[in-house]
Amino acid sequence: MILPGYYEFCCRVKVIAGHDALEKIPGALAQLHAKRPLLITDKGVSGAGLVDTVIDAIRDGVDIGAVADDVPQDSSLTVVNRLAVLYRANNCDSIIAVGGGSVMDTAKGVNIVVSENADDLMKFSGVGALKRALKPLVVIPTTSGTGSEVTMAAVIKDHERHLKMAFASYFLLPDIAILDSRMTLTLPPHLTASTAMDAMAHAVEAYTGLGKNPMSDANAIAAINLISGNLLHVVENPSDRNGRLALANGATLAGAAFSNSLVGVVHCLGHATGSVCGVPHGVCMAILLPYGMEYNMHKVAHTIGELLLPMVGPEVYAATPKHLRAEGAIAFIRKMNQSLYDATDGKHPRFFEEVKDRDGRRMVPRDKLVDIAEAALDDGSILYNPEDCDYEDFLMIMRAAWEGAPLDRSLIRKG
Amino acid sequence: MFFPDTYEFYCPVKINSGKRALENLPVELDALNARKPLIISDKEHAKKGVVTTITDALKDSGMIVGIFDGVPPAPDRKLVRGLMNRYRDTGCDSIVAVGEGAVADTAKALNIVVSGRPEDLQEAAGADRIQNPLGPFVFIPILSGTGFEASRYASLEELHISSHYVMPDLVIIDPRIVKAQAAEAVVSTSMVALAHSAQAYTCPAKNPMNDTYAYTAIQFIGENLVNVIRYGDKQGRLALANAAILAGIAFSNSPRGMIHELGWVTGDISGLSHGICMGILLPYILEYHLDSNEYHMSDMLLPIAGAEAYAGTAENLKARMAINLIYDMQHDIHDFTKGKIPLTLKEAGISKDALDNIAGAAVVKGHEGFTADDCRVILNHAWEGTPILSS
Repeated sequence: MILPGYYEFCCRVKVIAGHDALEKIPGALAQLHAKRPLLITDKGVSGAGLVDTVIDAIRDGVDIGAVADDVPQDSSLTVVNRLAVLYRANNCDSIIAVGGGSVMDTAKGVNIVVSENADDLMKFSGVGALKRALKPLVVIPTTSGTGSEVTMAAVIKDHERHLKMAFASYFLLPDIAILDSRMTLTLPPHLTASTAMDAMAHAVEAYTGLGKNPMSDANAIAAINLISGNLLHVVENPSDRNGRLALANGATLAGAAFSNSLVGVVHCLGHATGSVCGVPHGVCMAILLPYGMEYNMHKVAHTIGELLLPMVGPEVYAATPKHLRAEGAIAFIRKMNQSLYDATDGKHPRFFEEVKDRDGRRMVPRDKLVDIAEAALDDGSILYNPEDCDYEDFLMIMRAAWEGAPLDRSLIRKG
Repeated sequence: MFFPDTYEFYCPVKINSGKRALENLPVELDALNARKPLIISDKEHAKKGVVTTITDALKDSGMIVGIFDGVPPAPDRKLVRGLMNRYRDTGCDSIVAVGEGAVADTAKALNIVVSGRPEDLQEAAGADRIQNPLGPFVFIPILSGTGFEASRYASLEELHISSHYVMPDLVIIDPRIVKAQAAEAVVSTSMVALAHSAQAYTCPAKNPMNDTYAYTAIQFIGENLVNVIRYGDKQGRLALANAAILAGIAFSNSPRGMIHELGWVTGDISGLSHGICMGILLPYILEYHLDSNEYHMSDMLLPIAGAEAYAGTAENLKARMAINLIYDMQHDIHDFTKGKIPLTLKEAGISKDALDNIAGAAVVKGHEGFTADDCRVILNHAWEGTPILSS
């Protein structure tokens, strides 16, 4: 293992995991001197009955100040301000966020407003603008994917002023992340697949990127091990509680890995595809991951090869000659996508041409690939990618990922 | 991969490690809302220039610093009271401690009293008795210590405190501070780290978050300890200093266990360094548990031997191989220090008659589900230097 010239690592979130982790929230809040949380979630989560599960588990131990279950898909300043009013009107002293990335971002925004008495959230945007601890924040992820439960960033959109406010501070790290198998037990197989592949992409990019360090590596390896060993099984047996908990752990470990090492070309193109065509983030990650690995292969073949061990276990790893391990790791991800496609009756797309919206319409028309490549140029994720990427490279990757053909590696201009 | 049905994990410590790491101190203090740190050290290390390196790093920031470089080997409450007055009178708002065990204990105790009242120190004794977060605390390790520095433990006189609130907010590992040390200090520090991380990584109560700290610590030690002793490898020293911090964190999130308790008592009774005792005992204790399915011994081969050796070793031999590698490491260290680091309790000068006494005391102290008979078997083998072969 190489100790980098310099590195930083911080994962200051208390993790409480288990099949009965929800029941531990009141005690954990009491340690933070809080007992009247505002519960923030969205309609999808509450519609699935998950908010009721949370409320049942904590009702006897805390005094729930209010429940806001209307966080939109897209975070918004208006919603943040409205929930801050709700928080104050109900004398809340803490926040519990139940849901995915948007719910967590909204909760972080509300926390800044109520803790700092901020009338203008903008004042606290950027890196390091927060200087002290905020109100206690408990997050309960309902997918095993984003890793937002252990990340220090939040994005809030100001739709009126057409601004996207980004916040980054260790004070935005939640105090407590609750990983409870009940929260993902009913997640449909294809969403289980794509969100877990999002976590897989976090871990792989963290481990193979330029920002890697020994601690982010250890988190990435553990994440890949848990996801590789459990994902297909859970997609085929959605009610397996241990498998669900393993994926939840894997996603959190992957979150700790990438938030301390950053990501690369897979995320770069994934963000662009998401913003140009509206493709769900996890789907983009699943499709792009093998291409990103192929693209970086000539720079970091050895590092990619090391990932074969947590992917397939010691026997197959030992039996694979060294120079074939990186190829083996890429093949493993491709095979995983194929198996997930088969196990979800085709609902887990393997390439972009296959991505359809609810009405069965193709979401990524081939002529949009140029726009995606263009948009990727503005994404900062590429800074820590092993190989430099330009417009032509982005387009080449997108074309291959669109039709599902392996990357023609001879076309990569090696810099 | 193993993970438990239920667990809790918490590590408030941020780690900054590497070249010129200290230059970020002003930015890091600012991020903790601190402007006026009190720097705490001891005479020995201050003399080596470590305090100056820190004040130099703060110079351009305009931060005004207080310095106390007189922490004795056994700090007491009187010292902490004096430091409290000084901290308050000079308007300090944070603590930057550089050194080893005693300095860290003093800093933790001081942080308790300056964040509240003097009587809080007495009330903090015990497990999880501190109620509120303390002030900003930065710890800067040298490559020598007790293994408690970054941990949730602090001791002052007869007070023993266990609380995650005493853990540092930030640990800065800088090669300018982590200078060469005597072999005994390096081995002792690294063996505590190996013992604590091996214990955390193999124990039945392990969890995947804590495993990342233990795993990385074991890997650093496996790859670097012998080289540092043999060649004085600089980068390796930095890796070992990392391992000591990571192991302190892993130790804070796992049961204290037999390895720690028995090693500690052996050190107390014999007057030898605790780390050297833990190092001698470690492979024997692992061997003693080799046949128990509750422990995850074979997993340890991966961090200690690397992926090739791990994958190439049959499953049923992995645990034995990991233990053998620890023996090998110790033999190498023994050889390269010309026998200065003892391999057995006998070589360490402990009389055979003392073993009973140690076994008895470890059980009283431990309450960890092991008996005096268990300890006796281990101590006898570690005294003679004969492996405990599995049945």
